[in-house]
Order: sequence, then C-alpha cells, then structure tokens
Amino acid sequence: MSDPIDLALVILGLPLLACILAAYLAITKRSAAKYAHVPLILGCATGAVLGIILLLKVAADHDHRFISDPMTWFAAGNLKVSFQIVVDPLSAIMLAMVTFISTWIAIFSSSYMHGDKGYARFFAIMSLFVFSMLGLVLSNNFLLLVAFWEGVGVCSYLLVGYYYEKPSAAAAARKAFLYTRLGDVGFLLGIFLLWKMGGWNMSLTAMFDYMTKIPPDQGELTAACLLLFCGAVGKSAQFPLYVWLPDAMEGPTPVSALIHAATMVTAGVYLLARCAPLFAMSPDAQIVVATVGGITAILAAFIALAQNDLKRVLAYSTVSQLGYMFLALGTGGAISPVFAVTAAMFHLFTHAFFKALLFLSAGSVMHSMGGVIDMRRFGGLRKLMPVTHLTFLCGAAALAGLPLLSGFWSKDLILEALTKAADEGKSYTGGYYILLLVSLVTVFMTAFYTFRAYFLTFWGPERIPEEAGHHAHESPSRMTVPLMVLAVGAVFVGIAVEPFNHKFSHLLEHAPTLLQAQAVSHTDMIPHHFNKWLASIGTALALGGLGLAFVMYRKGTETLPGAIEPVFALSRNKLYVDEVYGAVFVKPGGVLAFLSSAFDGFLDAMTRLISSIPRFVGWWVRPIQNGLVQFYALSMALGLTVLLTFVVFRIAR
Amino acid sequence: MDKIYEIVAAPGTSRFLLLMVVLFPFLAAFFVSLFGRRARRAALFLAFVHLGLTTCLVVIGTMHLNVRGEQSTLRNKDIVKFQPTFIPGDTSGRSGEDGRTGWTLLSLTSSPPSANRAGPYVQFFVGMDGLNLWLVALSSFMLIPAILVSWDSVKERPGGFFGWMFFLQGAAIGAFLSFDVILFYVFFELTLIPAFFLIGKWGQGSARRDAARKFFLYTLAGSLLTLVGVIGVVVTNPDPLTGQITFSLPDLMGNVQHWLKIAHDEALAGKPEKLAALHATQFWLFIAMMAGFMVKVPIWPFHTWLPGAYGEAPIGVTILLAALLAKLGTFGILRFVLPLVPDASLMYGLPVVGSLAAFGIVYAALCAYAQKDMKLMIAYSSVSHLGFLVLGIFAFNAEGLSGSVLHMVNHGLSTGAVFALLAFLLDRYRTTQISQYGGLMGRFPNFALLTFILCLASIGLPGLNNFVSEMLMLAGLFHADMPHSHHYTLSVIAAFSIFLSSWYIMTMLQKVFFSPLKEPHPAEPESATPPADVSRRELFAFGSLAGLCLILGLYPQPVLDSLKTDVSYLSHIGDGARARVKGEAIPPDVVELAPVAPKSTPKKGK
Repeated sequence: MSDPIDLALVILGLPLLACILAAYLAITKRSAAKYAHVPLILGCATGAVLGIILLLKVAADHDHRFISDPMTWFAAGNLKVSFQIVVDPLSAIMLAMVTFISTWIAIFSSSYMHGDKGYARFFAIMSLFVFSMLGLVLSNNFLLLVAFWEGVGVCSYLLVGYYYEKPSAAAAARKAFLYTRLGDVGFLLGIFLLWKMGGWNMSLTAMFDYMTKIPPDQGELTAACLLLFCGAVGKSAQFPLYVWLPDAMEGPTPVSALIHAATMVTAGVYLLARCAPLFAMSPDAQIVVATVGGITAILAAFIALAQNDLKRVLAYSTVSQLGYMFLALGTGGAISPVFAVTAAMFHLFTHAFFKALLFLSAGSVMHSMGGVIDMRRFGGLRKLMPVTHLTFLCGAAALAGLPLLSGFWSKDLILEALTKAADEGKSYTGGYYILLLVSLVTVFMTAFYTFRAYFLTFWGPERIPEEAGHHAHESPSRMTVPLMVLAVGAVFVGIAVEPFNHKFSHLLEHAPTLLQAQAVSHTDMIPHHFNKWLASIGTALALGGLGLAFVMYRKGTETLPGAIEPVFALSRNKLYVDEVYGAVFVKPGGVLAFLSSAFDGFLDAMTRLISSIPRFVGWWVRPIQNGLVQFYALSMALGLTVLLTFVVFRIAR
Repeated sequence: MDKIYEIVAAPGTSRFLLLMVVLFPFLAAFFVSLFGRRARRAALFLAFVHLGLTTCLVVIGTMHLNVRGEQSTLRNKDIVKFQPTFIPGDTSGRSGEDGRTGWTLLSLTSSPPSANRAGPYVQFFVGMDGLNLWLVALSSFMLIPAILVSWDSVKERPGGFFGWMFFLQGAAIGAFLSFDVILFYVFFELTLIPAFFLIGKWGQGSARRDAARKFFLYTLAGSLLTLVGVIGVVVTNPDPLTGQITFSLPDLMGNVQHWLKIAHDEALAGKPEKLAALHATQFWLFIAMMAGFMVKVPIWPFHTWLPGAYGEAPIGVTILLAALLAKLGTFGILRFVLPLVPDASLMYGLPVVGSLAAFGIVYAALCAYAQKDMKLMIAYSSVSHLGFLVLGIFAFNAEGLSGSVLHMVNHGLSTGAVFALLAFLLDRYRTTQISQYGGLMGRFPNFALLTFILCLASIGLPGLNNFVSEMLMLAGLFHADMPHSHHYTLSVIAAFSIFLSSWYIMTMLQKVFFSPLKEPHPAEPESATPPADVSRRELFAFGSLAGLCLILGLYPQPVLDSLKTDVSYLSHIGDGARARVKGEAIPPDVVELAPVAPKSTPKKGK
C-alpha cells in the first residue's frame, strides 16, 4: 500500500468496484437499489483521502515520478499498447481533485436523485464516469488514454441522455457524443503521427524522451500537435466544437456539475498539460491553441450574457473559463512552460471547486422549483433558500474573480502568463497582446453575467413557479452540506495553496514532464511575484461588471434599454451558431446521405443492365442453334482453324 | 498435465480433430434435414458439439502456435511459406509433420504422386495456422446465435433450413482451412448453393428470389474470374527444379517468390526486363483474382448485391452472411492475393483497391445513414467497416495484417451480433423500420443494455473488440511505406470512418431507444401478454456475443500472439515486394519487423 503505484491503482479500482456493485443492483432490480449511492460515495471518499496521501508522497519523493511496469494490452509489429500508469505531480493533483469533488457531488446526488426509477443505473454510470476520468489522468500510453477518453465520452452520453423519454435529452446526448467524437478523429491521427515520428513509441514518457533527444521535423510536429489539440477542442468544448456542452444541460444537474468541474471537460486541458514537452517545441501550434482559447473565452462569455436558463449561463461560463485555461496553455514555449501549465492547472483546480458549487446550487434551486430553471419564472429566492443563496454567492464571486477568492488568484496567474508572453515572449508577441486584451474584456463580461444570474435568481420580489408546489423550500442537508463544503473551497482553496506559500506551483515545478518542456523551450523560469497593476486592473474590471449587473438587475427582473436589445437578442440566440452548423453541416450531410442512397439504386440498375447483356446476346445468337449437326461441325472446324492460325502466327512471329 | 498435453496434442489426434471440424457440419447438415419439426433442437445440439470440437482445436492449436519458434524459421530465409499444421493425411505418417498431405483428389499427371515432391495434383489439403484458426472458431461459434434467433421464426421446413445452415458453415470452414488453391475455390463456390436456397426459399421479403439470384450470379461471375487468376498464377509459376505446376498454396507461394527473386537479382544487376514482365503479368492476375474477392467482400462499386441479399435473407442467414461469407472475401485476399501476386498487391492494392475501399467507407456510411430500415442500415455499415479492413490488409505490414485478421473475427462477431439483435424486434413486431420504434429503453431495459454494448462495440469503443483491430489497422496505414501512394489520405478516411459509424449508429439509437415510447403492432396481437424483454434463449445468444466482444476487447493478445508468426511471413513478403518495386536490394534486417516477444508458455501446460 505504501507504494505510490499501488495507491494509485487502488484509487483507480475503487470507482470501478462501485460501478460493478451499482450495475449489479441496477440489473437485478433488487430493493437494495436505493443504496446504490453508497459504493460510489465510499469509493470516492476513500479515493480522496488516499489521493491526498499520494500527493504528499509524490511531493516528498525526489524523482517526483513513478511509472508502473507495463502490462501488454495489445501489440503487433511496432505498435505496442500497454496498461501503464504514471504518478507525478500533474496526475496526483488531478487524482485528488477529481475524487474530492466527486465525493461531494455523489453525496448531493444521493438526495437529488432520490426516488428516481433509474437510481442504481445513475450511480453505476457515474462510478464508471469517475473511473474513466481517473484512468485517463493516470494513463502513460496514448491509446490507453484514448480508451479512457472514450469511456468518459460514453458515460457522458449515457448521463446526458439519462432522462431518455425526453427527446431533447436524447438529442443532446447524441450531440455530445458526436461532437466529441469528431474531435477524436483528429486526436487519433495526431497520436499515430506522433507514434511514427517518436520512434514507434506509444508510451507518453518514452515518446517525449525520444522527441526531446531527437528533435522532429517542425512542420510534422506542428501538425501532430494541432491534431492532438483537435481532441482537446472536442472534449473540452472549445470553439468550434463547443456547442454540445450547453445542450448537455439536459442531464440531471449533478451530472452537469461532474462534467463541468471534475471530469470530462478538464480532460482536454489535462491532455495539453501532459503533452507540454511537445507543444513547447512548436510555437506555431501554441499560438493556435491560445487563439482558439481566446476566441472561445470571449464568444462564450458573450453568449452567456443574455441566457435565461440559469444552467445555460453556467455552461457557457464553463466554456469561457476553459478558454482561459487554453489561453494559458498556449503561452507555454513563448514563456516558461512550467509557468504556463501551472497557471492553467491552477485555474482548472479552483474552477473545479466553484463550478461544481455553482452547478449544485443551481441544482438545489431547480430541485425546489420543481424542475424549473428559467430565471424569468422565479426570483427573489434569497429568503426562501438562505444556504443555497449564500453558497451560490460564494461561487459567483469566485467565478467573477473578486479579490482574494480562489478564482481571483488563478485568473491572475493566467493574465500574468499572457502579459509575459506579450511582453517578453519569444514569438508572436503581438498575437499574445491582443489575446491579453480579449481576456481582460472577458473578465468584465464574466463578472457581469455571473451576477446577472445571481440577481435574477435571488434578488427582487419572491416569485415561485407553480410547478414547485410544496417543494419550494431549502433543500435537505444532504444537499446543503456539500454546498457548504464546496463554498469553503471556492473561497479559500486559492489563497490556501498559492499566493503566499506557492505550494501548488512548487509541486508542479518538479513535475518531470514540465521540466522536460522547460528544457526544450529554452525559456527562463519565472520567479514567484505578484503583479499589482495587473491585479488592480482585473479587480477593477470584475467590480465594474458586478456593478453594472447590480444597476441593471437588482430588482430581480430584466428590463433592457432599447439600444442594447439587439445585442442581447444576438447573445440570447447564441450567435445563431447552432443554426449555421445545421445549415452548413448537418443538413447537407443528410442530403448527401439521401443522394448516396439514391445513387445506390442507380448503381444497382447499372449492374442489372450489364447482367442483361448475356441474355440479350443469347436472344441474338439463338438462331444459330438450328439443330443441324453439319452446321455445328462446320462452325467448330472454322473456329478451330481461326484459333490455330492465330496460334501459329503468334509463335512463328 | 504434461502427459495429457502430449496425448491430446499427438499428431493423430489433432489431425482427426481438424478433419472432424471440416466434415462434421456436412454430416450434421444431412442428419438435421432428416428431422422435421424438431430440427431446431437437433441443430442446436449439433452446433454445440461442433463448438466443442472447435474449442478443442483452438486450445491445442494455440498451444501449438505459441510454441513455434518465434522468428527462427524466418531468419536468413529469402523464401517463406505458410506452414499449416494438423494436416489430415500428412505424408510423414504418425511420426511428425512435413506439411504435405497424401490425399490426392485429382491428378493431372500419369505418374503416381511422389510423397515429398510438389506436383500437379489437386489435393484435399486442409490445415491450420494462425491466420485461419480464429476464423474457424468464429464460424463454429456464430452458428449458435444464428440458430437461436431462428428458433421461432422459421416455421416452414425447419429441417431443410437448419440443414442448409450447417452446409453453409461447413463450406465456409472448408474454405478457411484449405491450402490447395482448387480446393479453396471449390469450398468458396460451395457456399453459394446453401446461401442461394436459404435466401430464395426462406427469405422474408417479396423480392427474395430476385435477391438470391442476383447474389448467386454476381458472386459466381466474380469468382470465375478469380479461378482464372489463380490458374494463371499456377501456370506461370512452375516449380523451378522440376518445372511442374502445383496447386499447393505453400509450394506455389514459394515458386512465386523464387521467380521474383531471380528477376529481382537481374534487375539489381541492371536488367530490369524480366521483373517488368513479371510485374505486368502480376497486374492482370491481380485484377482477375481480386474480381471475385471484391464482389464477395464487397468493395464499392461491386456491393449492389449486398443490400438485397442481406435485407431479404432470414435474419439467421443474414448473420452467417455478414459474419462468415463476407470474411471469405477478405480472407481470400490475405491468403491468396498477397502471397501469390505480392508486387501487384503492393503497387495496386492501396492506390486502386484501397481508394475504392476508402470511397466505399464514406459512401456506404452515407447510405447507412439514409436507410429507413435497421437491417439495411447494418448491411451498409458492414460495407463501410469492411472497406477499413481491406485498407488494413493492403497496408501489407505486421500491424495492418495482424489488425485485419483480428478485425475479421471482431467484425464477424459484432456485425453478426447487431443483426442478431434485430431478431428480437422481428420476433415481436415483424418490422425493423426505424420510424416505427421509439423509447425502447424503458420498455425493454435488458435488451437496451445488450444493444448498447454491441452497438458500441461495432462503432469501435475502447474496451470492446473492434477498437483493438481498428487501431492496429490504422497503425498499419501510418506505417505503410508505399511507393507512389497516398496513404495519409487513406488513413484520414479510415480514421474518419470511426466518426461516421458513430454518426449513423447513434442516430438510430436515439430514434429507437430514446424519446417517448412508440411500438408497432405486436406480431401476435391475439396473445394476452405484451411482448416481453429478452428471454433466456435470447439472453444466451446476445449475452455470449457481448461477452466475447468484451473479452476480445480487453484481452486480445493471445489471438495476436498466435498469429504473429504467420503474419510475419506475409509482412516479410510485403517487405520483399516493397524493395522490388522501389528497385532496392532487400535490406538484411528486413525480417526483424516484429519485436521478439517474451517467450510464451503453453497456457494449460502446467
């Protein structure tokens, strides 16, 4: 047990065990199915404790990395795919974070999903979801990583489509699966390209070692990095494949919390962090990563401005925040990759807390409002749901980046990374400068839409939809306790680990992968410091957004001045991106399918035509069969003569 | 235990076992057809007996294959031959093996056949190696779900129906095991007769006779060309020493390599005429041989018989058509085209056939999406998946070949399984129209679970079988070091097919299993109870398939290990062809493609 590898395997195995138990309960339909949440909660809680122990072990070790012995999954020729895990600061942080957040989401769900007929099924899939995510984090082989990556995708498909009778849920589930799968095509191609370039290694560490020793062709490397990034774009809902994530709201709310905070969407960020040595070698790929991140951040923030569905606001905010993380990742190479990845991972870490909190709070609201989540239909819930109100406020303030809260510190690091890249980066300084401006504007917008949602939900006169019935009260303690725990996290986790003691960045500074990236990027380490000016500007922008939201929405209702109505309409309609995709890809795809199918009929007719030729020939030559034996003999002799003449001439030539 | 192994693995036992695996289905076919109403029970019993025999063969076979010398047989050898074992009638008698059979069916020479010399004899030459073992296992296994799903639906003359099913299985197994080119051709054509009757007589739709006729004539026309091609290879590649022609595949491929080597040496010495002439001959032989296989696989645009045949056939027969007969085409390419016309396979395999296959991947996926009937959708999806398989074969390297052999098994399992699932709906509602269904997840939760597993397997989800083989084939395409070829484009299309398959499958699942409940009129409206979830019979059929998909997805290495040596023969031939086409000398280290694995011990040895 003391061996970190064993510890990690135990952490990985617990949710799998929970999944098997819950699946057994789901299939046999026993009355014990109402306890289906117990394995998951116990598994995740144990996992979280072990995860923290593991984190300490990794921090204390002088190598900071443990790699297990490979176990062959399949191998042929030069392709060798083995089950091999790697425990280093990067994966240890993810492991602890995922299990910790999942524990509280599981506890919340046990109350939220209470009495649902698919209770055991829900927990079975959720356990599998956590298992896949942990496996993804630990994998040290690209195709093994793909395996867990797809596992995460399937679990999200099943959970988003959990309410299978709802046509919208079914459509959202399919959409989520297909959009991420589209990114995976690029991901797979990138992996095989890297395999070809990287000395036929599929193991991540071996491949990075090979590539850093023997620098590959720059063009090919950039292509491979961008193909890998395709996978991240799909999974982490970046432009242009982000459209599935807001629709994924159709699943039960705890699922959204899980997808947005702990599992699934963070996978893409983690992938790029893990592959930092490759990306650090390709500045061209990095500016693309940063640009996509920047576009996503501002685009999603803009769409979030006018959404009426509380969960949709949060969903777009996730897309936007993930864009921030990619902005940070994209600076690695231009500046120290260690700094860039630390900024991204730190934001991922704090974001997990406040986004899980916000979603669970929204779930609590939805639970008591009888399933209604449209902010126009309720309001002024401050008195009715005091705990939910306060916890949501904590989460909102952290997301907006108000000073001293966790979101403030992590966002500050990202802005700092961008400033450095724009200021003293090695390449594309102009590009990074524009991206810095974009991210500053996004800070303002984030604070605005977050507090718009907050005011619309909790301020003004109390309004409750009729669906709520007698449910309209504060949620039970099994839901509020996780909220409170996560609220504490959202407020304090940032300040506790980074700004003063630099625990987080010290840990990542020793991650071998990042050191490798640092070595190949030829950049200087950035010392710990606090940029007062940047922090002040960020604070001012966040407070400005908050203030504007206060002015406009403190009454708890939305009345828009005529001038900005068109802008809000554009935002409300999500910039018509879904419609554009529908017109440009989905519809033509269907038409093309129909045309192919029609053409297949034509092809069949053509073969029939060809097959009728013998019959036609037969009809034509039928008169020859006249029954006269002499005629047959004559034609035989003639034919033989012709053939022999031909042969003789051929040979004699 | 060692003693038991020795007895079981004695040459006589295993040869008899192999012979039984080939002949038993034909005996069973005769026996079952004597039964009337109760034929289905007899059929199921006999199918299980056959599965038992095959399991023994697989166990002994893998032990045998795994203890073969890893690369020792290959090293420093210019000419490689398939090395079948367990050959009934092995000329060495009881003492050992020499890889030849004495069972001559037809002799084209007046002099009596001499024991150890190749000659113009058509022989009953069957044997086992790593390439066909798992396909035989697949053929043996797939009959069981095929019988189980036909349990209630076949009411008219079940004796004849199940009898022809066994006949079909026997012919397929015979073709897989044949090492005589004419014998292969005979078995290959023999599959047409049962398929013709099964589709035409027991088919479901009104167009069944037409579909059966089209299937029969189309495949017959193609395979006649294949016969011409095979004879062409036989005639143009006589034994270098005796000048006699041979129909034995190992000898024939040896001859082919011999003549190519001579021409190659001349070409390296500055006289490329002979090699160019051989290449020109190979081109035509390649086209002729591919004709039948391209129809059988099928590769676009020769697939038009398939929707009709698959759609009209009773579902049990569709399972066998998709799982076994389609594999005969791909197996034929692997077993005959690659070793007999290696240079042409390299020059025209990926660029010409591969391009058609890649186009077919996208085209068939689009057609699948447009289908309104699930049965036709799966039929087209099969065309799409097999296009990928053909790409994997023509990559002509260890990854691609291993992947494609494994994928034949995997595709047979998963496509057969998805067809089998349709029997569930057909038995209850007599329709597979997508628009008639909705929300079945709540109505039949167990059926939904099994369907999800098997559908996810067919779209290549990791942890299930197809993922492994698809990744291997993709790796093969990336590794494919082809002169004048565009293999990156093909890789992109192959990878994209993984998206395309999930596109239509997920759309179908959304319509049929999600959304509010919608069910058509039950097949038996007068019965008081509404259609129930999976019965025990169906649970066994679907569950065993799903279980196998999972096992092969999680632990495919034993299969890959057992076919490693045979694949290395083929990839060695591929490397030789590559060198010839590029005009280079064969590099000395060319045989060390596959890294030597840790020595594997017999599984049940201790």
